[in-house]
Amino acid sequence: MMNQQQNQSQGQQMMNESDYLNVILSDLKRTVREYTTATTESACPVVRRMFTDLTNSTLRLQGELFQVMEQNKMYTAPSPAPRQMIDKEIQTAQQDHQQAHQMSQQHGMQSGAFYHQNNVSNHTSNVQNPYT
Amino acid sequence: MNNMQMKPLSGKELDYIADSLSNENMLIKLYATARSVSANAQISQVIDQHLQVHEQHTHQMIEMLKQHQQMAPTQSH
Repeated sequence: MMNQQQNQSQGQQMMNESDYLNVILSDLKRTVREYTTATTESACPVVRRMFTDLTNSTLRLQGELFQVMEQNKMYTAPSPAPRQMIDKEIQTAQQDHQQAHQMSQQHGMQSGAFYHQNNVSNHTSNVQNPYT
Repeated sequence: MNNMQMKPLSGKELDYIADSLSNENMLIKLYATARSVSANAQISQVIDQHLQVHEQHTHQMIEMLKQHQQMAPTQSH
């Protein structure tokens, strides 16, 4: 009885594996943000390249840790968004984009200096493991 | 960007590198603590791999500081 109580109180005081991993996951997120800011604030191209690489590397670590935690039931995944909400979002996005597109074309014609050119390359499949 | 000409390190860049080194150190300590309580083989393996990457990050930044060392102006006051 005494031992059980001691174990319980110890259990309450100590962080377990899952707690530590959650702390690390948050710290990885924060570190990614700081690396991104550092990248945009770098004037030296060599430093900028290093911070870009560190951002990507840390993003990979964060994704990998998240996956392992999810597999081991240490992270509750958010519930899926309903189909209706996605439909609505697509509709709004298409309308908004059409407006922006029209505006960019109008301005292009007025100034004569710009004409619309696709600046986004063809969308490649993103179904591979995004964390490698 | 092919023309990667090195510029002297700005004070801002130095601050970001110093903060980032401190972040990496904290992560190494956190991972080491998690490693010591981990009972799961898969997780222990991931922790070991990640620890190595964080060591590399630290070395990368120290090397960057060394590369810029010679270009830095010496204090004149």
